[in-house]
Amino acid sequence: MIKALLISHAILGFTAVFAATHHAAHAVLAALGKPQARALRRFGWIAPASILAQAVTGLAIYPAYRVNVRAADLERSAPIAVQLFDLKEHLAALALALVIGAAFAGRKADEETPWPVAALSCTGAAFLWTAAAIGLYVTARHSV
Amino acid sequence: MRELRTALAAVGAFAVGYLLPGTLQLPVLIYDPVARGAHFGRVTNAVQMRYYGDLIVASIASLAAAAIAWKLPPRRTPLTIAAATALSLVALDVLFYLSRLLAAM
Repeated sequence: MIKALLISHAILGFTAVFAATHHAAHAVLAALGKPQARALRRFGWIAPASILAQAVTGLAIYPAYRVNVRAADLERSAPIAVQLFDLKEHLAALALALVIGAAFAGRKADEETPWPVAALSCTGAAFLWTAAAIGLYVTARHSV
Repeated sequence: MRELRTALAAVGAFAVGYLLPGTLQLPVLIYDPVARGAHFGRVTNAVQMRYYGDLIVASIASLAAAAIAWKLPPRRTPLTIAAATALSLVALDVLFYLSRLLAAM
């Protein structure tokens, strides 16, 4: 069950990374004056939906990580990996707010000042990429 | 415009609501994965998790700020300043957590 949740978390995580990256790219294009309303609306629901789904699966496996990976192994064998994983969790939490906020604001980005939307979206996507890379590193060391 | 102001208020409040409870060790919902139980308070051992509690506090702060920003009449504050403020609060969180990582190295 935990392994299935971990795989779901990884798949949904990459869906969120790519959807948020698409949203960020379209938000930047919109800020440069190229109409992107349709793409922003499309990724404005795919990105928040995927990030929420990956967050739910991540929260579901977090207790197993805490006991079977962190306390049982990493705290002794790789304390830096523990700190990196904590950073990943914080970045993922902030990305959740940034991506949902950018998607909500992006609905009108073509009509009004779009640079703040692009800034929110790009920051959220960058945090997601970093979180995904750290998650892969820690999972490669010791998965749940 | 209204959507963007609401989103910026929500993001800024999330950043503050996420950082403060953890750094000040304020009591939140704590989950103990060994005992498989939850309580309200502070962490008493390394296995207990306050992540769920911190996320709940940040989400409530974010939703409250969004609701207030949505209801209030538009402010004269330029959107670029509002965006810079929200992203600065996010950057403050990241700098704090990065400093903890670097201190542990």
